Amino acid sequence: MTAPPTIPMPLPPQRAASGAAKIVVPSLIGALVALTLGIYGRLHHPTGIAVNIAGFSSPGYVKSWLATVATVFALVQVGSALVMYGKVPHVAAPSWIGALHRWSGRLAFFLAVPVAIHCLYALGFQNYSTRVLLHSLAGCAFFGAFTVKMLILPKRGLPGWLLPVVGALVFTLLVVLWFTSAYWFFSTFGIHR
Amino acid sequence: MKRNTPLITLLTGAVLGIVLLVASMLATPSKAPAGYAGAATPTPASAATVASSSAAASPTAAASSSSATASANAQFRADYAGRVKGGIHASVAISIHGTQAVAYACNGSSVEAWLSGTASGGRLALTGKNGAVLTGNYDSRRAFGNVSADGITYAFSVHTVKKPSGLYRATADVRGAKIKAGWIVLPDGTEVGSLESNADSAAPSATAAPPLDVTTGTAQDGSTVLHVLSISGVTGSGF
Repeated sequence: MTAPPTIPMPLPPQRAASGAAKIVVPSLIGALVALTLGIYGRLHHPTGIAVNIAGFSSPGYVKSWLATVATVFALVQVGSALVMYGKVPHVAAPSWIGALHRWSGRLAFFLAVPVAIHCLYALGFQNYSTRVLLHSLAGCAFFGAFTVKMLILPKRGLPGWLLPVVGALVFTLLVVLWFTSAYWFFSTFGIHR
Repeated sequence: MKRNTPLITLLTGAVLGIVLLVASMLATPSKAPAGYAGAATPTPASAATVASSSAAASPTAAASSSSATASANAQFRADYAGRVKGGIHASVAISIHGTQAVAYACNGSSVEAWLSGTASGGRLALTGKNGAVLTGNYDSRRAFGNVSADGITYAFSVHTVKKPSGLYRATADVRGAKIKAGWIVLPDGTEVGSLESNADSAAPSATAAPPLDVTTGTAQDGSTVLHVLSISGVTGSGF
């Protein structure tokens, strides 16, 4: 979602926010989101159940497939970002690349939300194994980092490296989440619906 | 207002999350465990194959120098415990010692069952009094399947646990009646326990068990002090 708007936006007349505040405030909000999820997951008594989607053999499979599709969209994110930033040799950014980037990101996020809600409500923040602890931490951090990314996106005058770095962080966290959940789930219980 | 679209994305996601959370809260108490069990029944043969192969390759099993699968199964030892799906309090604990398996399912009051049976090739088959049945699959990490106790079927997927989490049992004779109590200590330390006051009956009736003190291994039932035994497939205690 880093495509420059097609119509140049006029700078707001006098937004006195300094460059640092533009980063600090979103970062604090993101940290708050991550903390809220972690604390809720730790305090809420896991129920072992949440709303389910029909057509799958178990909530584990629903979540694994949703997470897998979200991760595929995340790969589209990295690919489209590289094209937008002109990092892919001999590939000129097509006009629709911005829309592709925005919508793949939105879909990945919207797919990740139900998975996270099931995790938080039914399973909670757990630490009984390294995989589970890593997954719990990455899950909270992912939504925090995504919040930061969304909040700094419309801000102007930020260092050019900032968005790619935050975007890469969000992507890395999602991949860690996928490996510690869906990959483990499929390799343990088999790949099917 | 193109500048606000990331914020809209964020808020849409937040609203979606809140709606799902509220829906989950509304679904939890009314959802019948029996209905849920059907949806979660582990049917695929592939899962069974995976389970049995991982069981054979588990660290405990691998410790055996023998290469025969039957021998590897005979060495398999594990303890599992956790809440059932669809039930907030109902829990199940399963202990496997070689090919023997013991399980206890309990909702902390009147619904409970002791089961015993076999664990072989990644499959569990246990029965108990009053029509209690437990079937499922297991590997070195978790056990999943269905357990029926007192006419209620629960689906479960529970992970291995380490002491002090796991299964505990206490028996005592009080004025000619046999008391049998069971506690499942969950990984988070929660205890779920029931007490049968007529354990010799074909259909024992149960009530909530008195609190179990895991450190002393005792529970006080009225004037009777119950001494509990840890049921563990890993140590072989209770088998």
